[in-house]
Amino acid sequence: MNPAHRARAQLLAYAVAVMLASALSTPAWLLAGVLAALLLAGRQALVILRRALLATLAFSAVVSATYVGHVWWLTATLPWDWLLTVNLRVLLMALLTFLFIARVNLFLALGFSRRLSFLLVLATSQALALRRTLADFRLALHSRTIRPAGLRARYRAAARAMAWLLDRALANAHESAQALQARGWFE
Amino acid sequence: MHIPDGFIAPQMYLPLYAMAAGLWAYGARRVGRELDEATLPWLASLTAAAFALSFVALPLPGGTSAHVTGVGLLAVLFGVWHAFMAASLVYAMQALLFGDGGVTTLSLNALAMAFCGALSARAFYLAVRPLHVGLALFLAGWIALFLPALLVALALGAQPLIARDAAGTPLYFPFGWSVTLPALLIPHALLGIGEGALTLLGARLIDRLRTRYRTG
Repeated sequence: MNPAHRARAQLLAYAVAVMLASALSTPAWLLAGVLAALLLAGRQALVILRRALLATLAFSAVVSATYVGHVWWLTATLPWDWLLTVNLRVLLMALLTFLFIARVNLFLALGFSRRLSFLLVLATSQALALRRTLADFRLALHSRTIRPAGLRARYRAAARAMAWLLDRALANAHESAQALQARGWFE
Repeated sequence: MHIPDGFIAPQMYLPLYAMAAGLWAYGARRVGRELDEATLPWLASLTAAAFALSFVALPLPGGTSAHVTGVGLLAVLFGVWHAFMAASLVYAMQALLFGDGGVTTLSLNALAMAFCGALSARAFYLAVRPLHVGLALFLAGWIALFLPALLVALALGAQPLIARDAAGTPLYFPFGWSVTLPALLIPHALLGIGEGALTLLGARLIDRLRTRYRTG
């Protein structure tokens, strides 16, 4: 199959799988889904499982622990069904997403719309470059202060970073438009 | 407020996707109409900036920090539809490229944080600007964080009402409004002060940079 068609089919399959997983409320089916997703991940199963757990653990753990405490306080029982259903569903959906990210080229999958895939490529490349510069700004602030910077200094640094970001974005937009015009994109 | 997949019932996220799709279609037309052929690079750059803004630390007392959304600043500087489209694209990128935030919750995040956040920020800014520009900028940042928190709290708290089993046990997010409203509104009312301060400082700095370019 053509790689672009294959990526589009995978995007569609992912959307359907996520929707189905979100509608499931039977722990056995959800567990089967988790195992199937891990099987599909093959050698990457552990890496994908780790990523999915890290991405969802904070929110799920706080909600689960609070709900367990709440139900125990009211009824002196543990809500096993809810715990299993919701945590397996959250895990399954996160596994599907990380499997999709690992296996599918999103830029190729969105190739049916030239504008959409172009927008995504341009936005992602610029976003990663801007993020890297922001990390440099943070390190620069640390390296120029002997003691940890005070609240006022950190606010001023954050505001400067925001202003720089937006200024850079305006310049990037102008440069990209000129580059595209020079290459005949708008004709 | 990034909620992972699995806590919002399809009964809620599917209608929200229908609403968001309508707004995305209108937003794309509106942004395209307001700008010339540079629309795409402009939107891409604004999206990249909005994405990177979420990595700017919002300093909190005690040496800790949260992260800004930047929606208020984008709405004040570039208008509601540009802010909405850019922030929506950011949430889609975060979900589909980095696995941060849910795909099924994307519609809720886009409607609450990107659309209502931008709309309320712009409305507050325009309403208060004749009285005091600084206060208008601060309130725009504050409301852009606080109103989405209220909407997300309402959406989360509605889950036990719309999806429960025969025994009455919730199937998705388990807590009602008595828990979600204070849990989200109290911290976001305080975090909004930081977002408001950064919106004020950021907008003033941008204004100064633009003036410098015009005069230089």
